[in-house]
Order: sequence, then C-alpha cells, then structure tokens
Amino acid sequence: MRGRIKRNLRMVRVLINLRLQNLMMFRLGFFGPFFVDSCVFLVQLCVFEVIYSNVDRIGTWGKGQMILYIGTFSMINAINMVIYFFGINGIPDKIKNGDMDLYLTKPGSPLLRLTFERINPGSVPLLFLSGVIISYGIKEGGIKITPILVLGYVFWVAVMAVLYYLVEVLIRSFTFFILTSGNTIILEEAGLTLCMQLPGIVFYGVYKVIFYVILPYGIMATIPVQFLTGELTLSGALWGILVAAAFTILTAFVWKQGIRHYNSASS
Amino acid sequence: MEIIKTAGLTKNFKRFKKQAGMIGSIKGLIRREYEEKQAIGNLDLTIQEGEFVGLIGPNGAGKTTLVKMLTGIIAPTCGSVSVLGYYPNDLEHEFKQQYAVVMGQKSQLFFELTVEDTLRLFKEIYGLPEEEYESSRDYFVKLFQVQDLMHVQVRTLSLGERMKMELIAALLHNPKIIFLDEPTIGLDAVASKQIRGFLAEINERRGTTIILTSHYMEDIKALCKRSIVINHGCKIYDGDTEKLFERFQKFKKITFTFSEPTLLPNLEFDARILEQTPYKKVIMVPKENAAGLLRELMNLLPTDITVEEEEIGTIVERIYQEGGDGLA
Repeated sequence: MRGRIKRNLRMVRVLINLRLQNLMMFRLGFFGPFFVDSCVFLVQLCVFEVIYSNVDRIGTWGKGQMILYIGTFSMINAINMVIYFFGINGIPDKIKNGDMDLYLTKPGSPLLRLTFERINPGSVPLLFLSGVIISYGIKEGGIKITPILVLGYVFWVAVMAVLYYLVEVLIRSFTFFILTSGNTIILEEAGLTLCMQLPGIVFYGVYKVIFYVILPYGIMATIPVQFLTGELTLSGALWGILVAAAFTILTAFVWKQGIRHYNSASS
Repeated sequence: MEIIKTAGLTKNFKRFKKQAGMIGSIKGLIRREYEEKQAIGNLDLTIQEGEFVGLIGPNGAGKTTLVKMLTGIIAPTCGSVSVLGYYPNDLEHEFKQQYAVVMGQKSQLFFELTVEDTLRLFKEIYGLPEEEYESSRDYFVKLFQVQDLMHVQVRTLSLGERMKMELIAALLHNPKIIFLDEPTIGLDAVASKQIRGFLAEINERRGTTIILTSHYMEDIKALCKRSIVINHGCKIYDGDTEKLFERFQKFKKITFTFSEPTLLPNLEFDARILEQTPYKKVIMVPKENAAGLLRELMNLLPTDITVEEEEIGTIVERIYQEGGDGLA
C-alpha cells in the first residue's frame, strides 16, 4: 500500500513536471493564462461589488460573511482550476474519441493520471487573490483568528475542494453511458454560477434539496464560512462530511462501472 | 506455455438504427430502434508464449475489437478470455505491468516534449528502477538507432521515427506480450522494413510474444509464422502463414523478353496475356500450368524470363472473398 502511494506520488510529480515543461514550450501559452484568469476573476469581483452595493444582507448574512463566502468559493474554484479542472474536463472527449484506451492499458489509476496531467499554473494568482478577499472578509467580519480556526477552515476548504472534484468527475463519467452528456455539464455550470453568487443559507425547499444533495454547490463554500464565523452546527458539519463521503462512494462506483461499460471507438 | 486463451469469445455492439430524413429523426426520438452488431463471434484461440501471430482481416472484421478485449480495454459480451492468467477487463495493475499495446493511429508520446520526457513518465508508471530504465532505454535506442532523436520535440519527428519511439515507449518495461495494431500504417517501404526487422529481433532475442494486426500483408508474411484470418467477427483460418498464402496463390506472372520482335502462338494452359509488345510478353497462368507454359515458350528463345508471384493484395482479396471455406 505504502509502495503504491509512493509510486503514485512520483507519477504525479512527473506529470506536473511534464505539464509545466509542455506549457513552457510556448511563452504566450504559459504567461497568457495568468493575465486572462486574473481578468476573469476581477470581472467576477465587479459583479459582486455591483450586487452588494445595493443590498446589505443576504439571508442572515451581512457584508463580512458575504465577502468571506465569495473569497472561499473563489479559493475552492481556484484550487479546481489550478489542479484538476482541465484534466477532468477532457474526460468526455477522451471517452468519445476512444483516447481512454491508452489510459486503461497503463498500470496505475487512469483517473489519477487524468486528474494531474493538465494542471494550470495560470490560475495560481487566483489562489492569492482569493486569499486576499478571505483576509479582507475576516477583517470586515471582526473574526478573531486562532490556530484551531485556521486549521478547521483549511480542513473544510480541502473537503469541499475534493467534493467539487468528485461532482465534476461524476458528471463527466456519464459519458461512459450516454455519449451526449453535454447537457449535464450545462446544468453543472448553471448551478455553479448561481451558487458562486448566493450562499447555501438562502436555499429552502426544493432548492435546498437540489443544492445541498443533488448538486451540492450550496454547501461548498457555505460550510467553511459557517465554521469560520462560528455558525456551523454539528448537524451541518455531519451533513458536509456525509455528502462528501456519499459522493466519494457514488463517484467511485460510477467511474468503475463506466470503465466496464466503455466501448472505445471504432478505429 | 499458453499465454492467451479464449473460448467462445463474443462481442456484440448495440447501435442505433435511424431511418433516413427528418421523419426518421422524429421517429427516433419517440421509438428508438437498435440493432446488434456482432464484432467478434464465438472465437476460440490459443497462443503460446514466444509466438509471433498475425491477425488479418478486412476493415470491420473485428481485429481491433479482439485486441481491445485481450488488453482489457473493452469487456466481452460472453465467452471466456485469459491473458497471462488474468481476466483482462479486471484491469489489474499486475496484468497491465506485463503487456504493452501500440496503436498505429494513437500516439502515447507527448508531442511538444522530447521522447526522453515521455519515457521518464513511463518509468514512473511502470515503477522501473533507474538502473533498469537506463539499461532498457539504451538497449532499444541502440537497436532502433535513434540516438540523435531522443532530445528533439516529438512533433518534429517523421512518421517512421515516431513509430520507432512508440515502440521504445511500449517495450521499455520488457513486456511479456506486445499487441501491435497497424504499427506500419502510413509508413514508407524503408521505414516499414526497418520496423519489421526490429520486431523480429525483439521476438527472437527477448522471446516477447507479439500479436500483430496489419493490412500490409508484407508485414504478416515477413514476420508471422502463424496467421489468424478474421472476417465478420469469425475466425476463418488459423495456421501456418506460408500455407495460407500458398493455398490462395493461384497464379504466376511470367514475363518473357525477346531480342527480336516475336509473335506468340495460340496459348493453352488457361493463360491470360496481361501486356504485349513485340519484345515483351507478360502472361498470367495458373500456377500448376506455369511449367508447361514455360516449356512451350522456351522454343521462342527468349533472352530473359521473370517468374513472379501474384501481388499480395490480390491474394488477400481472394482470401476474404472465398471466406476460407474449409480452412478454419
């Protein structure tokens, strides 16, 4: 087991290394995303600025909590963009074109390779910018920082980044069964856009079921912020862990079944 | 030792059957019709360790589907399959560690980087110790004579050079079986010949079992002692390659050259004139009548005679057309 983990880590290191070398072959390709991603991020900030200059509260949350929420969602999204988004996003095409063949015939997990083979250093500035927003939110909310609070917050951000990853993999794994899974991805994007602007605390009834259970974007940034502001209840924390665990099992199951269902493509 | 064994191996694909036009599309939305296509049907196969086996068949015959089932890429619909003692579609790491697959139309190299970079990744994927990696890499680099190409971008390599690199990447971990799906596709005669030479050496020296699918019969004839012909998903021949070609080699092409203008007499022996000038006659004759025709035309005192076998493509066409009645 330990040997396998070591080997996987070495493989991840080589994949990251190769990706960076690959990107550095083209100067514009390497430096361009830093500029583009930062601009996109600033546009998003402008949208939030416009919204929150007109309202004081959303649900029970004031400005400080909302800034924290925006920073946290941006941070989770930035982790996604830096590490796994571009690799995972390519899964449907690889299934449709039969390119999964080469992944399945190599030792090691194909998903591990897909996850880390297209890291995107261009989004690294987003991590810093998100950090700045979170710091501003902490100051604005008058939160007294303790090591436990920081560790707990980092833990929840990590859990939610993994949950984000699991949902992405799950949705893209549908392509193993139905080749046209593009509509599911559109739904995912719509849910994401909505939840980037509205915290989970505003959802009730059927919306809560959708954004807490089916597409759990509603809890992704909400739970870490609730932890930081001292609002996270035990049931809320358990729900977060339960959803992450359930998606781990579900995604692993669907991925494994998907691989068994894979029919490649005619050559 | 049996390294591959299948019994009643079958793979069916379900495909949507759409009626033509807009009405057909609307009907397809409401009530979908599917048809089952059998890509491989009831295939029994045994391959021994160290064999070099050719898989022959026209497009859509099921060759690649068979390779994909043997490598675990796709699962069979029914039947049993065992490769190196594993059920391939379980995709166990230990199994994948022991074989390699090269697909002529799919590259496993990083196009923007050098071959050395890709090999480094494969070293980690296969968990090769540094010493073993270097010794294996150096052996193949020397064998394939690509010392000067290891540090150039893959995208700048010619097709032939790239295929050599694909083979090095596949052979790096010293697999027990290597599946080659059209490895010489698109290559010129010189590159194909070189690749064939390397493959023969790897099979002989390392005892690697090689399963080769190719449309180029020169590959099969030159390399594979045993051939398996597949058509419509069924095995129609499994045996000696020489015998296969001998059986379907029905004609000889004989070229006579004369120093003076010469007229041919009325020909018997079911001979057919392919080309005729005053100084040159090209005649196709059933192989059993070739000796008789030669004897007769020797009286005309030709200055040169060439006896050729039929073009390999024509023979293959005949194999597929006649379907292998009584062959399997």
